[in-house]
Amino acid sequence: MAAVTLKNVIKRFGVFEIVHGANIDIDDGEFVVFVGPSGCGKSTLLRMIAGLEDISDGEIAIGGKVVNDIEAADRGIAMVFQSYALYPHMTVEQNLSFGLRMTGNPKADTERRVKRASEILRIAELMKRRPRQLSGGQRQRVAIGRAIVREPQVFLFDEPLSNLDAELRVQMRVEISRLHKELGVTMVYVTHDQTEAMTLADRIVVLNAGNIEQIGAPLDLYDDPANRFVAGFVGSPKMNFLAAKIVGADNGAAVVELVNHRGARLRKPLSDALPAIGGDVVLGVRPEHFFDAGQGDCDLTLKADVAEHLGSVSYVYANSGTGGGREELIIEREASRHRANGDDLVVSIKADRSLLFDATGARIR
Amino acid sequence: MRYQNATAYRFLAPYLLIFSIFWLWPIIDSFLISFQATRTVPWRFAPTFNWGRLIGDPAFFNALKNTLLILVIQVPVMISLAIVMAVLLNSPLLKARGLFRFAFFAPVVVGEVAYSAVFRLMFNLDYGIINKLLNSIGLPSVDWFTNVTPAMAVIMMAVTWRWAGYNAIILLAGLQSIPEDVYEAATLDRVSKVKQFFYITLPLLKPIIVFCAVLSIIGTMQLFTEPFLITERGGPGGGTETLGLLLYRQGFRSLNFGYASAIAYTMAGLAIAISLVQIWLTREPK
Ligand SMILES: Nc1ncnc2c1ncn2[C@@H]1O[C@H](COP(=O)(O)OP(=O)(O)O)[C@@H](O)[C@H]1O
Ligand SMILES: [Mg+2]
Repeated sequence: MAAVTLKNVIKRFGVFEIVHGANIDIDDGEFVVFVGPSGCGKSTLLRMIAGLEDISDGEIAIGGKVVNDIEAADRGIAMVFQSYALYPHMTVEQNLSFGLRMTGNPKADTERRVKRASEILRIAELMKRRPRQLSGGQRQRVAIGRAIVREPQVFLFDEPLSNLDAELRVQMRVEISRLHKELGVTMVYVTHDQTEAMTLADRIVVLNAGNIEQIGAPLDLYDDPANRFVAGFVGSPKMNFLAAKIVGADNGAAVVELVNHRGARLRKPLSDALPAIGGDVVLGVRPEHFFDAGQGDCDLTLKADVAEHLGSVSYVYANSGTGGGREELIIEREASRHRANGDDLVVSIKADRSLLFDATGARIR
Repeated sequence: MRYQNATAYRFLAPYLLIFSIFWLWPIIDSFLISFQATRTVPWRFAPTFNWGRLIGDPAFFNALKNTLLILVIQVPVMISLAIVMAVLLNSPLLKARGLFRFAFFAPVVVGEVAYSAVFRLMFNLDYGIINKLLNSIGLPSVDWFTNVTPAMAVIMMAVTWRWAGYNAIILLAGLQSIPEDVYEAATLDRVSKVKQFFYITLPLLKPIIVFCAVLSIIGTMQLFTEPFLITERGGPGGGTETLGLLLYRQGFRSLNFGYASAIAYTMAGLAIAISLVQIWLTREPK
């Protein structure tokens, strides 16, 4: 078991800088998820930890030892690939034992490790099959088994569930969580799916275009995002962003006018220095933070477009009508089967259930 | 449905007609001819005339021996070489990959007569570049075309030069279909590059290798141009005469079509038999 530390890690492909100086401290035994949109450099970062990609600048340490110049095989890591990367011509058993056999590991020890992995993952009855005779979920188990057999200090997962169907994904997610508890080993997990990140992680690293936007526990990111990107990325459905303007500032509070909502105003207490009057800002409100008319600090009158009834809740896709520019909002309501399209809908927002961002996307607290 | 089929067959008709006249009929007819005595006019049906002669003909066994000798040496050497070429072509370190790919493939495009003439010149006793090179490193000249062993070697080298690149390109396509992350997984498993080649690349490439081998076996069984042009009709003294050449000599020099047909069917039968054995030996474990 080992901690993993990234210090100012930079990755360039030719002239393109893909990762712009990442600083991450992963504790021993922690489950950390790198999340971000496709192409933001998650895999690249993971592959640098694995040793499959060299580090252009900065330092990566595993278990306190700088590994920049250490071969991938000697870093004490094991990796599970998105496409499983099983050896197609070998049986499951051979897949699990291949690395150990090739490096002359004592036979009895190899057998012990393979047996243990097959028990942990419950794949004992698949041992004689070849990858193409397995379902996607079974292949993924074998791929994880191959990582377990290495008895690594750190597990690396690169979008391991993205090729599975929705139901299986949930099932394997629970399985991976269980595995982490059982083995107690450091795990670094890459995904573009924020739900996976929220459910699995001890801590989440949110990446965007090669920059780390925020590192924190799942609910901290949800409650207290550092910027508009994180606020929009974490949570499903996404946070609504309402265009606004600062029209007053006094006594530790700013008054913002929602420009697309017929001049509706909200008084928002702030602890930072108050923003300048006249500045453009954005007010973020999560779908679940709309209240019934009159229950909040500021009412908004909307037109409902479409309602999705999920049973426990309904999501209403609404717009601000012609009260300025047209703005689309997603609003969570208690389950209701009677809402018709085109209906007027009055909802209320609260100052302490909304977040303020400046024009660059930085949070104003 | 039936109407649609009829339309399809009408479109196919021109091809089927040509196929029948120039392919199907000769295939059937040569089979029939192989059972006829064709040295006297009119031809007459004599089932054992050609086939009986075949199993006792020293010229046939000489040609068979030469053909098989070339087969067992040249095909494995060429396929091995093609695999090495394919791996090099596939290397990320290689610059100007397109140029190399073209260069490896180019020999197939060169006219047979031209390439044979060049090989004759290169291996010429007095002015050939090969002997010049041998001399330059202190080795004596080799009289390539008057002794059987060097003449055979020239044939094998020529065929290998012409077809190794072609096979390498086919193998390259196979190599490129092996996903990169399988190698990365092996690297993380501490498996060396050499072991990766023998335990991952070769097994995964096996179906393509078998395919190339079968193609090469069929090609070599029919070997004709090289011994005809480079070693001048199977010289020295029939030492490089192949089945293809014997067939030509019997059919188109002696106009003994019955015997030539019997040889042709023997060649085809052998090619099929060897290929089947090859496929069977290298079949996937179930
Ligand atoms: N070998 C490479 N050469 C050049 N660019 C690359 C290479 N690998 C990845 N990239 C680029 O780096 C960026 C990040 O890629 P990646 O880490 O795979 O993203 P993610 O896993 O977050 O989807 C992408 O823009 C991609 O095009
Ligand atoms: Mg990726």
